Amino acid sequence: MKKSLSLLLCLALVATMTAGCSGSSTSSDNSDVIKVGVFEPLTGANASGGELELEGVQLANQLHPEVLGKKVELVVADNKSDKAEATTAAARLIEKDKVSAILGSWGSSLSMAAGDIVKSNKIPAIALSATNPQVTLGNDYYFRVCFLDPFQGTVMANYAYKTLGAKKVAIVQEVSNDYSVGLAKFFTDSFTKLSGDASAIVSTGNYNTGDQDFNGILTNIKATNPDVIFAPGNYTESALLIKQARALGITCPIIGGDTWETNEFITVGGADVEGAVMSTFFDDTNPPTEAGKTFVAEYKKLYPDRQNIPAVTALGYDGYMMLMDAIQRAGSADPQAIRDALATTTNFEGATGVITINANGDAEKNSAIVKVVKDGKFTYLDTVTITQ
Amino acid sequence: MKNTQNSLGAYLKKHWKTVVFLVLVLIGIGIADQFVNSFMRRLLNLSAIYTIVALSMNLVNGFTGQFSLGQAGFMAIGAYTVAIFTVPVGLRSTIFYLAPMAPLLANIQLPFVVALILGGFLSAGVAFLIGSPCLRLRGDYLAIATLGFSEIIRIIFTNTQTITNGALGIKSIPTINSLWWTFGIALIVIIACFLLINSSYGRAFKSVREDEIAAEAMGVSLFKTKMTAFLISAFFTGIGGGLYAALLGTVDPKQFYFTLTYNFLLIIVLGGMGSISGTIIASFVVTLGQEALRFLDEPMAFGLDLPIFRPGLRMVVFSFLLMVVVLFYRKGLMGTNELTWNFIINKYRSIKSRFTKKAASAQGGDSK
Repeated sequence: MKKSLSLLLCLALVATMTAGCSGSSTSSDNSDVIKVGVFEPLTGANASGGELELEGVQLANQLHPEVLGKKVELVVADNKSDKAEATTAAARLIEKDKVSAILGSWGSSLSMAAGDIVKSNKIPAIALSATNPQVTLGNDYYFRVCFLDPFQGTVMANYAYKTLGAKKVAIVQEVSNDYSVGLAKFFTDSFTKLSGDASAIVSTGNYNTGDQDFNGILTNIKATNPDVIFAPGNYTESALLIKQARALGITCPIIGGDTWETNEFITVGGADVEGAVMSTFFDDTNPPTEAGKTFVAEYKKLYPDRQNIPAVTALGYDGYMMLMDAIQRAGSADPQAIRDALATTTNFEGATGVITINANGDAEKNSAIVKVVKDGKFTYLDTVTITQ
Repeated sequence: MKNTQNSLGAYLKKHWKTVVFLVLVLIGIGIADQFVNSFMRRLLNLSAIYTIVALSMNLVNGFTGQFSLGQAGFMAIGAYTVAIFTVPVGLRSTIFYLAPMAPLLANIQLPFVVALILGGFLSAGVAFLIGSPCLRLRGDYLAIATLGFSEIIRIIFTNTQTITNGALGIKSIPTINSLWWTFGIALIVIIACFLLINSSYGRAFKSVREDEIAAEAMGVSLFKTKMTAFLISAFFTGIGGGLYAALLGTVDPKQFYFTLTYNFLLIIVLGGMGSISGTIIASFVVTLGQEALRFLDEPMAFGLDLPIFRPGLRMVVFSFLLMVVVLFYRKGLMGTNELTWNFIINKYRSIKSRFTKKAASAQGGDSK
């Protein structure tokens, strides 16, 4: 009995494996379909971010399912928030599903891992919310629709210096997070330049992802008495940090980056995060373009019970739309032609703003949204425009 | 002279099947290297690297019976050595844009092989430092120390901005594309492990695993034996880590969470603690199996739009299959057996006889 059961299960295993190998190849080689790969972390540590981006891409696909008279088919691959898995997922999309272009992934390090594969296979890819400069650097096939860490750092430095009138700033960074470290560095550079004071950054504290207690860092900061605290990092840790800062009696404004804009930030932080200020990509109450208004309307139709629209969803939408625009201009689904068209994208009207792709493959954006937490909601505060 | 020729001839005569098999494997790799697409190539490369690391973990955990959980840390050392020393000097200033690379290292570029071997030696060196206090003790101290070590290494690499580029990681590592690097080194490691296990050292390893007191009474130095196994394991893991870095082209500290170690623990438990061939089989099954099950993540796998076919399902099914294997094969797929010719022939015979017996009894039942 036991033996025959085990034999049966072995057979089932073999059957599923052969089904897996043959199943997906049947739908290929249909010239009426243009395949677009989406690789996102849909399981693992970054799953929530990947899910939000995918929603944006899928929404855009629903609204614009056709280009050049052909149907656009999304092929979604999960990369498990893991680098090795990200490379195999990207290789799979290219080799097995024969996609014409790739969108994704949430998280700069996952995008970077796939960079070499899209480059050597000459398949264009668009990063949606990966803000690390290294993603597109030295890679002619990787583009992006969001702004970069240096820009975001500059925006917040400008906000702190000009709007808040800060002279002394303390920085708390999540040292194991590339995003946080990069942002802190660019903020420091920009702020010292603006204020002309080399010692304007009075203290820098480091914490690790998952830390719960920040009293040590905060006590040091309190002693230096800064005008502003800049604390880019993960939303849970940042919310706890703000709570503990307020409990210690630190009353100065605390500002951060786009990762704060999640509902968890407010649920964890409660009343203490009131007044926290962050830069972000998109504001749904005040869309900058016509395309943005369409996006907001369609999003609300699809998800009527959601409070606010995450910026990464808007970026997912923009990535897909920019790709469709490029395919339209290229006049074919040939990856090389799409790449060349993407590289010459100028004044494309996306939901998050007007996009022009520069020589690096990055979107040249010159303004960012600044939001503040007010009455438990992310509220539009300002649009900061930087002239380079 | 004549004597050695004779013994070589005798050896070939005795092991001709193995020799033919090895030649076939080499030809197979050669053919695969020419014709396989880059997706399959990547999976095969990953399987070979997992084989190297899992095998070296099995050397300590399976054969010597010491519970070590430091694989991710040793891999990180190997991976970062390759990353730091093989990235072209010209690209370094763009990678280390937050803080420039330490001037001592900034202009040193080594060939891939040298960096790979250096990574192996560095990780063996660190293993010596951890092993010398811990391996003198009995019990779980090694597991605790190695687990702690792999976390410490990750945090050190996160904070040494000028050497490892901290959390940003290093990219633009020259990648390896051919199957020969990974499979060649995997073959070397497999053969080395096989020879080691069947030597007097290997017998000492196993005696320590079975009964430390009896082994000591027989004159086996516990500390030396454990240390040998631990150092060799760390060396091969470092090399595996270096290959991993060169395959992915980028490294960052988050890759080397302790969960990476559990991948290899899974492989050796699945394959059988103390079986070389089991580890090899399990490495390939786990790596290829996870990809093969990917169709479960896609909607409408069978023409029906079932809501359970969503990303993540394949991991559920995969875990279920693992549980089934563990239920029916308590000691892993191979236990402590090896996939030798005798093993295959015996298995074949037993299955055959069982079927003929069944057929005979069925016939007997009919006639009744």
